[in-house]
Amino acid sequence: MAMAETAPRAAEGQSFERASFTGSASEYFGIWIVNVLLTIVTLGIYSAWAKVRRMRYFYGNTVILDRAFEYHATGKQIFIGRLIVIAFLIVLNIGTAIFPPIGILTPIVILIALPWLIKRSLRFNARVTSYRNVRFDFVGTAGGAFVAIMLGSLVAFISFGILAPLASRWTWRYLFNNLRYGDRPFSSDPQLGRLYGVWVLPALIVFLGSIVFGFIAFVVIIGAAAVMRESAELTSTQMTVLSIAGLYAGLFIYFILYGVAGLFYRAGVRNVAWSAAELDGRHQLVSDISRLRYAWIAISNVIVTVLTLGLMRPWAAVRMARYVNEHTGIRINGDPGEILSSIEASGAAISAEYMDMEGFDFGF
Amino acid sequence: MASDGAVIAKGEWHPANSSRAIPAVLRDDGILLVAAEEERVLASAVPERTEISPRVGSIPRRVSFPDGSVFETRDNDGIDTYLRDKRGARSGLIHRLEQFHPRLILMTLAVILLATTIYRFAVPVLVEVAVLVTPPFVPELIGSGTLASLDRAILKPSELPEGERQAISEGFSKLAVHSKGGQKAYQLYFRDGGVIGPNAFALPNGNLILTDDLVKLANGDREMVLGVLGHEIAHVEGEHSLRQLYRAAGVAALVMLIAGDVGSGVEDILTQGGALVALSYSRAAEAEADRRSVELMRAAGYDPAALSRFFAVLEDKLGDHEDASILSSHPGTPQRQQDIRNYAAELEGRPRAR
Repeated sequence: MAMAETAPRAAEGQSFERASFTGSASEYFGIWIVNVLLTIVTLGIYSAWAKVRRMRYFYGNTVILDRAFEYHATGKQIFIGRLIVIAFLIVLNIGTAIFPPIGILTPIVILIALPWLIKRSLRFNARVTSYRNVRFDFVGTAGGAFVAIMLGSLVAFISFGILAPLASRWTWRYLFNNLRYGDRPFSSDPQLGRLYGVWVLPALIVFLGSIVFGFIAFVVIIGAAAVMRESAELTSTQMTVLSIAGLYAGLFIYFILYGVAGLFYRAGVRNVAWSAAELDGRHQLVSDISRLRYAWIAISNVIVTVLTLGLMRPWAAVRMARYVNEHTGIRINGDPGEILSSIEASGAAISAEYMDMEGFDFGF
Repeated sequence: MASDGAVIAKGEWHPANSSRAIPAVLRDDGILLVAAEEERVLASAVPERTEISPRVGSIPRRVSFPDGSVFETRDNDGIDTYLRDKRGARSGLIHRLEQFHPRLILMTLAVILLATTIYRFAVPVLVEVAVLVTPPFVPELIGSGTLASLDRAILKPSELPEGERQAISEGFSKLAVHSKGGQKAYQLYFRDGGVIGPNAFALPNGNLILTDDLVKLANGDREMVLGVLGHEIAHVEGEHSLRQLYRAAGVAALVMLIAGDVGSGVEDILTQGGALVALSYSRAAEAEADRRSVELMRAAGYDPAALSRFFAVLEDKLGDHEDASILSSHPGTPQRQQDIRNYAAELEGRPRAR
């Protein structure tokens, strides 16, 4: 059951429902391979439409309370969004060639534009999602994105992850408190204490892992130095490659450590943030992913995908979606049918005729 | 079903912008598409004004009416049957391709074949284009960044006598004059290589690093050192490291574009693994750099084949010449020495280069 229970409210008939995933690996394999084939044949143009088919498949198979979600973006929308990005890059390149100082400004401009892009992208993704014929909406600001996501990442990074829970709190508050379902708001206030509770294990993984690998690396470097001085049949460039490869191997190990710890952390934080979230102030969301199981699925997915040259990717994607969905749920206060029927679409999200940029995807 | 017209599918009807759901059927009564509850018509329109969402797998289908209301059904086959009667076999082509069927094996083979072709032919072209449009600050950033991190992690200040360094720098300038970009495009740094041992390497921005061990290994043979530096200049001239970097990035980007969603773990492996690949020059790049070293040395008035002496010393001093490194695709040293001497001899038959 849920790991983060808020104090039970007046329990006048609460009903708890889990989500499920009704897709299958074989069915998705067909969709995926045709997507790949058509993307190659059309020199990438089809990729926008491929994305729509993929998203519709996953949304349409995510079912809760007997209803599926629906993804409404059109291939044309996404294609135009991508064209704008590519055109921007081309203009930038030409501009830099003509007037080199533009090149120095580019990173600054992108950094300034990023919060705005993040906001637009979150809004786009919310507005093209519907459930029971009512669309979601996202009302966060660019300023909020700057603090919650960019500043948060910076704080987490500079503090070597020690302040990561603080950043997570900002991020998830920004995501949930600005999310709307029709005319009803979502809200979430994940407690810092709970976030630090799920931070302990990943922190230990990084800390102990660093000690172990640090020791191994020390032994290897001493050994390698001895070997290199004794007999190295290596040419200068090979030596370069080897030594720099050693440097990279170290980085790579750190990257793996942080990656594994990150999986544990992400799953734990999701549990805390979702379980602290409410729809309309009355219906609690629940997430009870097992961190170990989540990490295992993610890691084995990568291994299987790489070993099969990507051909098992559809199976891996379906496997992960199924696990995550089955450990996500909602506790409705009152009669679900009645409550859900009373929700109306509202405001700007109604019109499907707006154009928006499809930017980065944050899994909502 | 006491109503005229054939029932297409059973499902639910939502009023416009509302989550209210009313059990309903979708009927085709000749002219109009109708969503109806028992006898009561909920919405109707001529088929041209309705929009039916394309089929993906077996997710629910939506029929949108002009008044904004929506009929939703899980009966995909019913809708497909209706569409086939109306619009002929052209509808749902993509979905039919996607169905689990032996022909997917053919598609998989086609994908593998096409992917290999792209890797072999399209990526090199894209790499060349990328190198062409790279603004100068990119190699500058890579170069200074790598030097800074190497200085922090591995390298220590050089302990060579000042006179030795001076002499090598002067010779190096002579070489650089004849290269593309001229003398000011290069900067030679002397460092104690620590674990790296006898080595020299070039960063994409024209920074060259020469370790004390290599100078000691040369044992006073300054031309040999210069031959190695010539080889490194060639790597900068040919923008080899940039090309490798782009090749890795290009492969990663193509995989992401083509596969659409590759999963975050795979994405990371692609980007990180790409960096490893980028650090090993290709065999062709090495051969090119060897030849260019011969040309530069000859132009500067040194022994053109000095570089081959370096490989010979490596062989003598450092034991056998098995190719031990999995990361490299370098030809074995005896062959390389031979190639260098052959090329030097070949040039002697020609007028002096530049």
